[in-house]
Amino acid sequence: MSIHASGIVKTFGQYTALAGVDFHAPSGKLVALLGPSGSGKTTLLRILAGLEFADPGSGRVLFNNEDVTSVPAGKRGVGFVFQHYALFRHMTVFDNVAFGLRVRSRRERPSDAKITERVRELLRLVQLDGLEKRFPTQLSGGQRQRVALARALAVEPKVLLLDEPFGALDAKVRKDLRRWLRKFHDEIHITTVFVTHDQEEALEIADEVVIMNQAKVEQVGTPQDVYDRPATPFVHRFLGNVNILRDTSAWGRTGPIHDNGRLGSDGLIYVRPHDIEVVPHGSDSQGIPAVLRYIHAAGPQAQLTFEVIATGEHVEAHITRSGLAELNLKPNDLALLKLRPSHSFQDYTI
Amino acid sequence: MPLLRKERSALPGLNLSLGFTLFYLGLIVLVPLSAAFLKTSGMTWNDFISAVTSQRVLASYRITFLASFAAASVNCVFGLLTAWVLVRYTFPGRRLVDALVDLPFALPTAVAGIALTAIYAKNGWVGQFVDPDGAHRLLPHGIKIAFSEIGIFVALTFIGLPFVVRTVQPVLEELEPELEEASASLGANRWQTITRVILPQLFPALLTGFALSFARALGEYGSVVFISGNMPMKTEITPLLIITQLEQYQYAHATAIAVVMLIASFTLLLLINLLQKWSRRYHRV
Amino acid sequence: MASATASLSTHRERGTGHARRATQDAPWVKWTLLTIALLFVGFFLVMPLAAVFTEAFRRGAGAYFAAFSDADALAAIKLTLITAAIAVPANLVFGVAASWAIAKFNFRGKSLLITLIDLPFAVSPVISGLIYVLVFGAQGWYGQYLNADEPWFPWLQQWLIEQDFRIIFAVPGIVLATIFVTFPFVARELIPLMQSQGTDEEMAAITLGASGWQTFWRVTLPNIKWGLFYGVILCNARAMGEFGAVSVVSGHIRGETNTMPLHVEILYNEYNFVAAFAVASLLALLALVTLALKSLVEWRHTQSLRSENSES
Repeated sequence: MSIHASGIVKTFGQYTALAGVDFHAPSGKLVALLGPSGSGKTTLLRILAGLEFADPGSGRVLFNNEDVTSVPAGKRGVGFVFQHYALFRHMTVFDNVAFGLRVRSRRERPSDAKITERVRELLRLVQLDGLEKRFPTQLSGGQRQRVALARALAVEPKVLLLDEPFGALDAKVRKDLRRWLRKFHDEIHITTVFVTHDQEEALEIADEVVIMNQAKVEQVGTPQDVYDRPATPFVHRFLGNVNILRDTSAWGRTGPIHDNGRLGSDGLIYVRPHDIEVVPHGSDSQGIPAVLRYIHAAGPQAQLTFEVIATGEHVEAHITRSGLAELNLKPNDLALLKLRPSHSFQDYTI
Repeated sequence: MPLLRKERSALPGLNLSLGFTLFYLGLIVLVPLSAAFLKTSGMTWNDFISAVTSQRVLASYRITFLASFAAASVNCVFGLLTAWVLVRYTFPGRRLVDALVDLPFALPTAVAGIALTAIYAKNGWVGQFVDPDGAHRLLPHGIKIAFSEIGIFVALTFIGLPFVVRTVQPVLEELEPELEEASASLGANRWQTITRVILPQLFPALLTGFALSFARALGEYGSVVFISGNMPMKTEITPLLIITQLEQYQYAHATAIAVVMLIASFTLLLLINLLQKWSRRYHRV
Repeated sequence: MASATASLSTHRERGTGHARRATQDAPWVKWTLLTIALLFVGFFLVMPLAAVFTEAFRRGAGAYFAAFSDADALAAIKLTLITAAIAVPANLVFGVAASWAIAKFNFRGKSLLITLIDLPFAVSPVISGLIYVLVFGAQGWYGQYLNADEPWFPWLQQWLIEQDFRIIFAVPGIVLATIFVTFPFVARELIPLMQSQGTDEEMAAITLGASGWQTFWRVTLPNIKWGLFYGVILCNARAMGEFGAVSVVSGHIRGETNTMPLHVEILYNEYNFVAAFAVASLLALLALVTLALKSLVEWRHTQSLRSENSES
């Protein structure tokens, strides 16, 4: 089932959480809602779920072209997974997962045997079989997350909505679980929207990324797309490290500045550290003279911090460690900096 | 093994503060309380049993226990309702009502007693409409509230009201709205959400509030004596019976009844402590 | 899918157009519950309070104020103030000492100690009075000591007899019984507060060279002052209003061993209702002031929590 939302405005008193937002999730895709805290992404997700409602008259939410704008959460057929799981503490894992089936009216409620069967199947699916009788407090964070997922799936939702699904987990479990979620989504193919503030997470597993900032959508695209062709200065800054350069005419002589939207709408050049080329001083090429201030080489790449002589601004460049060895640079040495022509995927289309 | 074994700490003052605490506790609480038990140990078992199981004493247990139980039960219902309204709804005067809930803690019991009596006596604000001798009787035969068992129940309800509200309120405040949203998004209607998700989480607090309210009512004296009429075998509560025995210099009898009540109170206290541990069982991580 | 679509649209048609959030009750539910709760509060809390003042002024302001010109009434007010002036500071010092020991140190038997401190709350007021009669009454340990032929410290026995120093049916008994019933108030406010604050700040003060007393006065006390105040006002309200325990040990001697609540009882039993409710209205005012101060402290507390949260 596809999701369409258009013209969504949401205000809380004086505060505008969403200022006219359009959103689309194609059927069967895994979509990330990415943005810093306070950008409105969770509010949008809750409006899609029917837990929050857009300001009266402001916009519409469509599920498969069916208007659900004023349909409450329980009737929308969505599965919602809360950031802190919201598991029912007084119920076992089994009872938590069975809850959505048991509260159905007698006419629609499956038999106890069917419920048991379905819960068992779901727990197997999220790899928690054998833990039916545990209480939520007896589970690890990752296990709780998967119980919450199984509980949401029990009602056979058409859409799965996850609010910061890995936010409350530690780094190692986060990584494992998000890869598991990607694999899991490939198996069940249900339209899924998840909210995250972690760009790495969004770029790694989503089919499509919706980047939000200050109550608005900044850019929509595939992970590759938004990373390589950021549409706005905000997206440049938000996704990965970026150098912000003021002196457009000087840098323009060293390389292409229109490459992939590198020249922001605010007239500044946004360039990633690995798109800065470092050449030895004294070579004949066009480059900006800069002094090497700092080397951080304890990693896969050498991270060099330069100070541009003409403007005093600091520029970070990432080069290979063998590249650094060839240049033979030490702190306070002079070098020339150039904009590298941006890479490869010019022919990539959506 | 010593009762109190101390660990070394960088902060000073443990010996002084703990020493003073134990001395004062012993002097004010433990020694006088032990006097009650020592006094009864001077009685023979048969004397003790006959003192605490005479007809009049048994009748006083009965009315004290029943009225306390009824009052605590009513407080459970209305206390929960009041807590819900205070936490979930905004309305003008909410802060005032919230502050007023503690009135029974702050108002001296004797004052509550005479005020309630004035209201429910036959010429009082409520009494004139319900009392059998009331001037504006509404029911054909009327209901006697002041100077009857119902009066005791009314006074004990007043006294116990804050306990349920104040134990349920914080739990209700901390209940994450996500639980209700999760329940709703899974298709539960509001009634199912309340009975299957919210109430089970409030239940331990509710039970604790009930026990606290009940325990307080069992020992209550000041607010009851004015409104109860104090008729032996009928509306004479156990604390009043203790005083009556004392006034007749029946110290041994009075103390024997007191020991029975102390044992009942301490059992309840233990039960309340266990309840509170139990109520936190889901929070263990 | 077709069936799901159908059910979605029927629901929309039935809906009022204004959608309600999952945590909100229907308006009729809200108004019903609110009405019941307010009626209950009105009946059980507001009405008794109003009754006290109405009855007190039933014969006009003149009769009301006449009740306070009575020497016995003034003596009762004085005795109540004296009792509170001894009982509250005594329990204040105890509360601070107990919470310092319990919150800042680890020792075996701590939870037992906390339970014992709460014990007086579980004891009926009447029994609280009774146990002091058993210890200090004419038939009690104190009486036995005064009548002993070969007592310990004969000079003390001699002195007590010469002074005719009585405890029960006298002021010392009233003070002791009041201390007993108000025993846990300050301690039970301070213990959880000081436990939640931990010992880091005190440790820091000690490492900076402060003495124990300096640490307490300059670091601990400013942190607990509101909790302390809260405990003191509750302790004071109970100390001034205690009836059952004091009733047992007082002996009801007019002008000598009557506190305000006991004086209310005597006037009431003499059918002097206006005077009884006039004295009662003073106690009711005390209760209202206590509630107001209590709300103020709670309000300050939530304000300070809020500012802490907004800073972080």
